[in-house]
Amino acid sequence: MPVNYSPPPKSTPKVIVAVTLAAAAGIPFLFLGLVLLLTPVLKPATIDGLLSNAGIDPSWRTPAYVAALFVLALLMMNYGAIFSGVITWWERRVAGRIQSRIGPNRAGFGGFFIFIADAVKMLLKEDLVPADADALLFRAAPYFVVTGFALTFVVLPFGHSLVVTDLNVGVFYVTSVTALVVVGILISGWASNSKWALFGGVRAAAQVISYEIPAGVSIFVPIAMAGTLSMQGIIRAQGGLPWEWFVFRNPAALIAFFVLFTSQLAEANRTPFDLPEAESELVAGYLSEYSGFRFALFFLVEWGNIWVLSAIVTTLFLGGWQIPFVSAEYIDGLRGAGVLPSLAWWGWNAVSMAVFTAKTIALCNLVIWLRWTLPRVRVDQMMGLCWKYLVPAAFACFVFTLFWELAVSVAPRIELVSGVGFTVIAVVLAVLFARRVHQNIQAVQGEKIDLSNW
Amino acid sequence: MERLILRRVGKPEDEMLINFGPQHPSTHGVLNFLVETDGEVMKRAVPEIGYLHRALEKIGEAVSYPGFMPYTDRIDYVAAMFANEGYAIAVEKLLKLEVPPRAQWLRAISCELCRIASHLVAVGAMASDIGASTPLVHALRERETLNDLIEALCGARLTYNYHRIGGVAYDMPTGWRDRVLKYLDHFDTYIQEFDRLISFNAIYVKRLANVAVISKAAAIDYGLVGPNLRGSGMDWDVRRDAPYGAYPSFNFEVPVGRGFQGTIGDAYDRYFVRMLEMAQSSRITRQALETMPEGETMAKVPRKIKPEAGEALSRVESARGEMAYYVISDGTDKAYRVRARTGSFTAMSIIEDISPGLMVADLIALIASFDVVAPEIDR
Amino acid sequence: MPRKIVIWVVLAALVVTFVGVLGARMAEGAVLPEIILGPLGLTDALFYLFAAMTFAGAATVALSKNILHSALGLLAALMGTGSLYVFLSADFLAVTQLLVYIGGVLVLILFAVMLTNRITEVKISNASLGLVGGGALLVATVPVLVFVAIATPWATIVPAELAPTTREIGNAFLTRWLLPFELASLVLLATLIGAVVIARKELKQDEPDTSVS
Repeated sequence: MPVNYSPPPKSTPKVIVAVTLAAAAGIPFLFLGLVLLLTPVLKPATIDGLLSNAGIDPSWRTPAYVAALFVLALLMMNYGAIFSGVITWWERRVAGRIQSRIGPNRAGFGGFFIFIADAVKMLLKEDLVPADADALLFRAAPYFVVTGFALTFVVLPFGHSLVVTDLNVGVFYVTSVTALVVVGILISGWASNSKWALFGGVRAAAQVISYEIPAGVSIFVPIAMAGTLSMQGIIRAQGGLPWEWFVFRNPAALIAFFVLFTSQLAEANRTPFDLPEAESELVAGYLSEYSGFRFALFFLVEWGNIWVLSAIVTTLFLGGWQIPFVSAEYIDGLRGAGVLPSLAWWGWNAVSMAVFTAKTIALCNLVIWLRWTLPRVRVDQMMGLCWKYLVPAAFACFVFTLFWELAVSVAPRIELVSGVGFTVIAVVLAVLFARRVHQNIQAVQGEKIDLSNW
Repeated sequence: MERLILRRVGKPEDEMLINFGPQHPSTHGVLNFLVETDGEVMKRAVPEIGYLHRALEKIGEAVSYPGFMPYTDRIDYVAAMFANEGYAIAVEKLLKLEVPPRAQWLRAISCELCRIASHLVAVGAMASDIGASTPLVHALRERETLNDLIEALCGARLTYNYHRIGGVAYDMPTGWRDRVLKYLDHFDTYIQEFDRLISFNAIYVKRLANVAVISKAAAIDYGLVGPNLRGSGMDWDVRRDAPYGAYPSFNFEVPVGRGFQGTIGDAYDRYFVRMLEMAQSSRITRQALETMPEGETMAKVPRKIKPEAGEALSRVESARGEMAYYVISDGTDKAYRVRARTGSFTAMSIIEDISPGLMVADLIALIASFDVVAPEIDR
Repeated sequence: MPRKIVIWVVLAALVVTFVGVLGARMAEGAVLPEIILGPLGLTDALFYLFAAMTFAGAATVALSKNILHSALGLLAALMGTGSLYVFLSADFLAVTQLLVYIGGVLVLILFAVMLTNRITEVKISNASLGLVGGGALLVATVPVLVFVAIATPWATIVPAELAPTTREIGNAFLTRWLLPFELASLVLLATLIGAVVIARKELKQDEPDTSVS
């Protein structure tokens, strides 16, 4: 007897399109707007000012601080989770295009609500603990991973003054809290009491420990150029235009940029370094035995890390939130003396946030693109790449940068020369690349290039 | 199995014994390996042969000669056309039947299309096993069109049952020739696209080149066949060297592993030989469509097939290499013995000896480079 | 067993000496400082939270029989210590503690545990030297430690505002403390080379043949 599958609707009902578009636009607006609004307001100084303006007894300061902490923590964790959800949808759409298939298209217009459907599905699944597993550690592991991920949001900048707290050891802090993710992965691999999971856990540990070294050393390059560890300080040392970015201002920084990006890919277990959960080798690596919500937590971190790594690279090398032709000091000056900043200040902060988000999302796309293009390296090649190429390259970049900074102090113009030169080269390469892509598409599709079903 | 378990008594405990499969994403069906590893490096991998045994050869003794044809589809479901053809040729030899030329040509066309479809699965699955998921989907997209074409020819997409004793089941439908030619025009550019997509990708080449090298002598000793044998540098193709059917009338080259990116006989050679073979298959199909003779598609076959007592051996070049059918008749309407010799079986036999020192990830590349189809191993 | 007895004797001797010395000092007339109990502020609450975390972690390290639970306890203890550094305005040190001890040492400990040959067994247990003796030791040492903690005239400073300390630390390392700093790195280098030498020895034994000829 033939099964009657309900045919896909010819055109999506207008209500669904409207709801989806509203959500697709509304979720980023809501969260980015909340970040824009709350991060400057919930600073201790502003809270003090607001309390005294409202005539509230200063003994309420401590509860207010605690409340502010909780609000910010809630906001940041939700930002990470929601972004991670949206990017799973985006990744699947992009993957669909790359693989000439459709991708999710049922839950909402363009399948936008698929991440909510997935989350609900995960929540409803049984939370399975293998019989001989170490139940305590098995249950605890996802929380380590999530903690390590969420803690990075404390110092990740979003805009000119939009950061939860600008620690003066910011970059260093990010490198160290991500260690908790490794601990979580190792514990999950071991506690599952499965050989595949153990394999995955050991691979993950070896990989992340190894790649922390080139990542850590290449981070020294922007630190040396900016002279500070603070994330905001590093961004302020750069400028809005491409030749004012660290990546082009110093030949070694360009190499360090690639070293850092590669290492961050490896630390986030993204293709071509997805060895810890290589599905064709280790079934699912350290995730083999997880189900339900705990599995969802691992995946939340995995996709959320795309934002984290892109934001770190943007901050350190690509000028962060710097707006072209508008200096950070100019925005500082607009703040005004009041408890709450002036409207113009808010406006420029929103623009800086847009700049930062655009750069970060462009990098996120690059990460996704790499994943659906490249095969996976083997474990010895992964190690070889790290120790034979990236680590020496990172150290060489660091030493070169020290001499470069000495040279800059003598002749400041070389930074500009290098910046403009590399920017021109980058633009030329981008144009050549686009032409090559065009030729490749033409070779298959002929003159007309079909983008109609995108 | 038993050997391995016995061997472990008194072994140091720093080795890990892993059950690789049968439920594993890259076992191409339900293969099962017992893998002894020291960390990432394998001590050895022992394939469990017989896991998917379905007694197909025994069934051949229980059903009539034409009745066994649908079962041959199940020997190798990725390239069922060759299993059909091999069995048909063997029985035709027993019956001393002459197959009409048009049927010979249709057999060649259907087989070459099927070879392309099978190789697409092979190279796509290989890329997927190496970790690039996109090429698999692209390859399956192309195979889908091929399946459409084959479906138009014989009504089935996977288990064709198209070749019959004495000919083929159906003639080409109208317009089919042009559809195939049009598709082949697209396919020739597609091979280049696929090469650009993955074949020369630096990571991909590094993963496959110089991995699991099988020398020519070892390949012959272990009875490797088809692309696996040619990948090791042995220039042997049944279509050319022991021709059957319509193949003597076609012009084609036999691609041989030359160490395209590394050593002769490495996993990359086996992969790239398949890529080159697809182009040759396309070439053969074009020639066959152009020189297609007119006439019947079925020989005069008696209603009840009852060959004289005797035996016959047929050899065809399947997508997985030389496939041989050995059929013994005792003069009744059922075969006394049907034996199929398949490429995957011998390919599995070499895995245990080549695995020591490979990494776990290389085992995946090795299995993928042999293009093993699980049911073909055990039949 | 004799090894265990030796350990006990040595420990007991240490405790006796310790108690004796302190008792002598107490007899000289040490002055107990006045204990001031102020209102519990946010900072104090956080301090006690992290102190409790450190303590609980340390207790888990000592008491748990499962080596991975111990490792987890170590994690809590190290994080607690790291957090306590923040109260001393040493944020760089706190983050370094996190990076070196959790990112490096703890992960390596976990790694080492996973690579042991008993890995197929989930329940790896720590060796214990005996509960009764340990309890006795505890009873003997706790009063002494509590007395020391109370009687010592701790240097109290008001924590400064969090300020970048990286520059001062760097300067200190490369000027005044250069020799110890370099010596420490030399020791680490020697350890590293030693580890490599030990690890390489085993690999040489069997070099598997990768090709069948």
